[in-house]
Amino acid sequence: MITACRTDRPEASAGAVTTHQVILVREQDAQHSGSGCCGRLGARDSALGGAADFSHSRARMERIGAVYRDLAAAAPELDLIVADPRNLLWLYPTVWRAARRRGLGWAATIRSMARAGAPMAVVCDGDTLYSGRLPATDTVVARVLERIAQD
Amino acid sequence: MPAFFLIVMALVAFYLGYRFYSRYLAEKVYALDPNFRTPAHEMRDGVDFVPTHKHVLLGHHFTSVAGAAPIVGPAIAVYWGWLPALAWVILGTIFAAGVHDLGSIVVSARNRGQNIGTLSGKVISARASTLFLLIIFFLLTLVNAVFGVVMAILFESNPGAVIPALIVIPIAVFIGQWAYRLGRSIIIPSIVGLLLLYIAIPIGQAYPIEVDGLASAIGLEVRTTWILLIFAYTWIASRLPVWILLQPRDYINGQQLIVALFVIFLGVLVGWDTVSAPAVNEVSADSPHWFPYLFITVACGAISGFHSLVASGTTSKQLDKEPEARFVGYGGALGEGALALAAILACTAGLGAAGEWNTAYADFGAASGGALGHFVTGTGHFLSNLGIPATLGATFAAVVVITFAGTTMDTGIRLQRYILAEISELAGFKALSGRVNLLTTLAVLIPLGLALVPGGDDAGGKGFAFGRLWTLFGTTNQLTAGLALSVIAVWVLARNRNPLAAIVPLVFLLFMTTWALLLNLVDFFQKGDWLLLAMDAAIFVLAAWLIVEAVTALNRQRGARDPAAADR
Repeated sequence: MITACRTDRPEASAGAVTTHQVILVREQDAQHSGSGCCGRLGARDSALGGAADFSHSRARMERIGAVYRDLAAAAPELDLIVADPRNLLWLYPTVWRAARRRGLGWAATIRSMARAGAPMAVVCDGDTLYSGRLPATDTVVARVLERIAQD
Repeated sequence: MPAFFLIVMALVAFYLGYRFYSRYLAEKVYALDPNFRTPAHEMRDGVDFVPTHKHVLLGHHFTSVAGAAPIVGPAIAVYWGWLPALAWVILGTIFAAGVHDLGSIVVSARNRGQNIGTLSGKVISARASTLFLLIIFFLLTLVNAVFGVVMAILFESNPGAVIPALIVIPIAVFIGQWAYRLGRSIIIPSIVGLLLLYIAIPIGQAYPIEVDGLASAIGLEVRTTWILLIFAYTWIASRLPVWILLQPRDYINGQQLIVALFVIFLGVLVGWDTVSAPAVNEVSADSPHWFPYLFITVACGAISGFHSLVASGTTSKQLDKEPEARFVGYGGALGEGALALAAILACTAGLGAAGEWNTAYADFGAASGGALGHFVTGTGHFLSNLGIPATLGATFAAVVVITFAGTTMDTGIRLQRYILAEISELAGFKALSGRVNLLTTLAVLIPLGLALVPGGDDAGGKGFAFGRLWTLFGTTNQLTAGLALSVIAVWVLARNRNPLAAIVPLVFLLFMTTWALLLNLVDFFQKGDWLLLAMDAAIFVLAAWLIVEAVTALNRQRGARDPAAADR
C-alpha cells in the first residue's frame, strides 16, 4: 500500500511515501452530531464551555496523544492518522480497504472493523491491535513497530 | 417538474460553486498557502493539534455541523414556493455559507486555532466578546424554545413516534455503559441499537401513545402537556453526565443522518416524483413577505453562524495543509446545503398532488406549525417509493427529527446553563454561578416560557407563536454568522485583499435581519405580543450594536492598511 505521508517533516512533505498506515481512534472531547447547527457542547477552547463534561474523553485523547507522539518519534515515516469513531463514513471504509489490502479474510476484516469502532483503538494496516483499553504507551508503540517490522 | 431535476440543478450549482467560487476564495481572498505551517503542525501534540487527512476532517466537520435546523427552516420556507427556498439554499450555500465556513477555519488557523468568540474580541473590539455572548444567549433561548415546540408538534401529530423516541434513551444508556464503563467497541451495539429503534417503529405504530387523558386531567392542551413533559425530560437529561446519554446518542444520530439522507435521495430517484408545489406561491397580504423573511426562515442550510464555532473550535486545529480548508470548510457547507435540499424535496414533491400541497401550505400558520409534519409526510412518501409503507416511513422521519431535536435541547440547556453562570458572574451574582440546579431550572424556564407564548399563527389553532419564534431564532443565527463574517472581512482587509466576498453576504444578512426585526417589532406591537416584542427589541439592539462594531472595525482597518500585511 502506498499512501502519502502525513508527518510534518520537510522531507516528508516534499513527497516521501510510506507503506504503513496507523489509525489511532479516539473520541474528541466534544459532541459530534445531532445539533451542530444550533449548539455544540464541549471541546477545549470552543468558546461556549462544556469541555469539562467530556473529561473522560479528554483523558482518552491525552492517552492516544502520548501514543501518537511516541510513534511519530519512533517511526516518522508512518502514515499516522487520528480519527473519531463517530466519523462513520471515513473510518469503516478505510479500515475495510486496508484490511482487505493486507490480505485479511472476510471474518477477520469484519472483526477488525467492529473492534475499531471503540472510544479508543489502534489500527495498524487494517488490523485492529487494541480496542477499548490500551496497555502502557511503550507496549502499544512496541507492538505497532513489531507488526510493521513483520511485513 | 420531476423532483430529480431539482437535485440535478442544486448539485450542478454546488459543483460549480466548489469548482470556481471556492477556488477564487482560496486563491484571491484567503490566499491559502501550502507552505503555511498550520497550528496542527506548529503545536502538534497528538491531542488537540493533529495534522489530519482532509477526508477525515471533512467527516468530523460535516457531522459536527449537521442538525435538525436545516430541515425545519426549508420546510417552512417552501410556503413562498420551491423556487425562492431552493434559490436561497443554493445561493446562500455557495456565496455565504461557503465563505463563512471556509473563512472561519482560515482565520482561526492563522491565529493559532483560537475560537471565534476570542477572535471577535481580538479582531473587532473587546466589546465584541460580550456581544457574542449575548447573541448566543438569545440564540440558545430560542433554539430551546423552538425545538421544544417541534418535538411537541411531532409527538402530538405522530403518536406512533413516541415509543421509538423513548426507546432511544435506554439504548443510548446501554451503549454508554458498554463503551465507557466496560471499554468495549461501540459500533456493533450502536448498529444493533439503530436496528432496535427501527423495529420499535412498527411497534410504536401499533401502540401509539397519546397524552390526551393526562392533558384533560390537568386541564391543559395536549401540545402544552407535551411541551411541559419535554422540558421536564430536558432538565433531567441535561443534569446527567454526558457519557450516560448525550454522547452515546452521537452514534445513533450519526447513523440516522446517513440513513435519512440516503433514503430520501434514493426515494426521489426511484419514485421519479414531480414537484407539486408552485415555483412561486402567491401568498395572502397578511402573510409575512418572502423578502426579507425567507432569509431568516432558512438560516441553517443557507448559512449558519454556529458553524464558525465548530470551524474554529476543533477543525482549524486539525488542518493539515492550509489549502485543504477549502475542501473541508466549503465542502461541509455544501453538505449542509444538501440536507436543506432534502427537506425542500420532501415538502414539495413528497406531499402528493398540488391540491394537497395547497391545503398543507394554506397560510403561514399552517406552513410554520405544520412544517415538520409536512417533512415527515413527504419523507414517508419517498420511503413508500422504496416499498416501505408510507406511515412507517413518516414515523421514521419523525423519529429522526425528534432525536435530533432532543439532542439539540439537551445541548442547548447545558450551554445555556454555562452562559447564565458566566453572565451572573459578569453581573456580580457570583453566588448564582455555582448553583447548578438553579441555573438548570432557569435555563429550562426561560425557553419554556417562550415556547408557551400564545400567538395563534400555527396549524390547528393551538395558539402558539411557533412561526414567529422560528423567525426570531433565524435572526439570532444570522447575527452569529454576521459576527463571524465581520471577523473574516476585517481579517481579509488587514491583508490588503479584496474583502467583498465576505462583506457582501455580511451586509445582505444584516440588512435582511434588521429589516425583519423591524417588521416584527411593528407586528408584535400591533398584536400586543409584549414578550416577543421585548425579545425582538433586544435582538434588534444586538443587531444595531453588531453593525456599529463591524463598520467601526472595517473603517479602522481601512485606515491602517499595512502594505506588508499581505503575506501574513
